[in-house]
Amino acid sequence: MNFKNKMSSVLIAPAFLWLIALMVVPCVMILVLGFFQRGIYGGIEYNFTLENFQLVFDSLYAGIFLSSARIAGTATIIAVFIGYFAAYAIATSPKKWQPTLLFFAVLPFWSNYLIRTYAWIVLLNREGLLVGFSKWLGIDGGIPSILYTESAVILGLVYNYLPFVILSCYAPLARMNPDFREASTDLGASNFTTFRRITLPLSVPGIAAGAVFVFVLSIGNFITPALLGGGRFQMIGNVIYAQFLTANDWPLGAALSMVLIGIMMILLMIQASAAQRSIGQKNKEQLDG
Amino acid sequence: MNNENTLLSIQNISKHFNDSKAVDGLSLDIYENEFFALLGSSGSGKTTLLRMLAGLETPTEGQILLDDKDMVPVHASKRPVNLMFQSYALFPHMSVEQNIAYGLEMERMERSLIDKKVQEMLEIIQLEKMAKRRPDQLSGGQRQRVALARALVKKPRLLLLDEPLGALDKKLRSEMQLELKRLQHEVGITFVIVTHDQEEALVMADRIAIMRDGNLLQCGTPQEIYEHPKDRFAADFIGEMNFLPGVVQGDSIIASSKRKISVMSTNGFEDGESVVAAIRPERMSLFLENAENSIEGKVHTSAYHGMDILLHVSTEFGEKPISVRVPIHSVGDKPFKAGDSVTLYWYEKDTRVFANK
Ligand SMILES: Nc1ncnc2c1ncn2[C@@H]1O[C@H](COP(=O)(O)OP(=O)(O)OP(=O)(O)O)[C@@H](O)[C@H]1O
Ligand SMILES: [Mg+2]
Repeated sequence: MNFKNKMSSVLIAPAFLWLIALMVVPCVMILVLGFFQRGIYGGIEYNFTLENFQLVFDSLYAGIFLSSARIAGTATIIAVFIGYFAAYAIATSPKKWQPTLLFFAVLPFWSNYLIRTYAWIVLLNREGLLVGFSKWLGIDGGIPSILYTESAVILGLVYNYLPFVILSCYAPLARMNPDFREASTDLGASNFTTFRRITLPLSVPGIAAGAVFVFVLSIGNFITPALLGGGRFQMIGNVIYAQFLTANDWPLGAALSMVLIGIMMILLMIQASAAQRSIGQKNKEQLDG
Repeated sequence: MNNENTLLSIQNISKHFNDSKAVDGLSLDIYENEFFALLGSSGSGKTTLLRMLAGLETPTEGQILLDDKDMVPVHASKRPVNLMFQSYALFPHMSVEQNIAYGLEMERMERSLIDKKVQEMLEIIQLEKMAKRRPDQLSGGQRQRVALARALVKKPRLLLLDEPLGALDKKLRSEMQLELKRLQHEVGITFVIVTHDQEEALVMADRIAIMRDGNLLQCGTPQEIYEHPKDRFAADFIGEMNFLPGVVQGDSIIASSKRKISVMSTNGFEDGESVVAAIRPERMSLFLENAENSIEGKVHTSAYHGMDILLHVSTEFGEKPISVRVPIHSVGDKPFKAGDSVTLYWYEKDTRVFANK
């Protein structure tokens, strides 16, 4: 081992230990926990069983998984749609304005997650601004409040994770060689065709990164469904939370967590390998200006 | 040139960016089937001119007539003009053949016809085997050929090339120069090429225009430009030139050392006006004893160039040594040493006179 290698292992060690102690060890503990039985009065009986995992794929929990995926998926689609066009608008605005616009786009992100979510309750409730505004517009009795519905949860998720999408879509758009678009025009393409065949395909890595991010964070989220969903329906995050903290069924909670983490890992891995491929391509391009 | 039909007529065109005048009242005619080179120092407005021709930039004023039709209101995507970008701008997510087909797809051409034309083009650029590769899997020279093919396959009336050979090494560059010339001949399309390299322009072009500060300094055949540069700047820009300062007196020039330099004529200059006599290094000789002009000097440096020897000779004409190209066959194996005494001769017909500014 040469000096450079030694140096880098010294530098990487703290992060590595941190990861092992706070990420790998708890995950392994959870995984192991999933194979034990629940004690009669809560607690854990150390007898090996596959019951918990069977339960996860039982229609009740599998259904919650599916509806969580549906909610997260809807939030992802909406967030990507809005986020991509916001990023596009920022990337095509005058250069000197771009940092400012980006700053405002991610500004909400610097405030506390809970406060942001509570703010939506204020906006959405039956005496809230939105209903009040519709009354003021003259709608009889105002529009019904969407607070404590699935729509409110989706709204909250989109709102919270939009900055990620904007940032991850902005990067490839801003980096894109403007010659590509001009070459397309020069070859006879309309602006829309240029967007569809050149700009959009070249921003796929950013879109994919943003989408996976929103989906992974949304499907496991339990704060937004609890606050904006009002506990009337549950996402998988809420169920896991309940198993650990109220139902006291740690083994089932662990099994549910493992399946959730598995889903997230698979998505992240797909995204990472796709990004890796396009980075390889980018680097080569940049070498030739 | 065999064909002198005007294809493109640029009339008094200008492009102003905020405070800078990138192109300023330029007029130029380009003929059908011509290989035209735009030459000029950095920032002289070459790229801006090409971009206006392609429609990627709107002129502040002026007209661009192509086949007698005004192009200014026509959108870039609708002009029979294609631009080959300096960066090549090959679409990174498309294969070589997809890149070449792109422009034809925009014309809504039938698939079978597109495939046929792409195949023909791949043969011309000799990249049939690379058809399925992505641009990042090609060498610089191959990429350049794909970029050329992508523009050529649309059979534009006018092909614009912005420093197409800039990124290539010297050997590949001279190969591609010949290749470009051959291609232009083969497809019969008018080429306007921008280059920094005056040698490239001389070798390739039917006509050359030298740009300076957003306007044309001089336009003509390579020979006209090389032999009869319009002023000192043009003379210096194309090829190498010796400048001997002096003042006009009658039909000749008197150098500061009182030596007389004979020239063909001093028309346009008044007695006592400060001028330079300009002579190309290859027009000077060590042996032309009957030439009107001569000067003694001492060899400063001598450089072997294969075909000839480039001597720098210190003379009374000034601090800067005079460059002389001595053909290798005329000196045999006898080397020159620094400090050798030599006499340089040149004809008055090879001497140009420019204002000294
Ligand atoms: N978009 C622009 N905005 C402002 N100024 C510009 C713009 N494009 C070009 N210019 C200016 O116009 C002038 C001419 O630029 P241009 O790119 O045409 O030069 P060029 O002859 O192609 O130079 P080079 O040989 O370096 O490529 C330069 O002074 C440049 O700074
Ligand atoms: Mg340029």
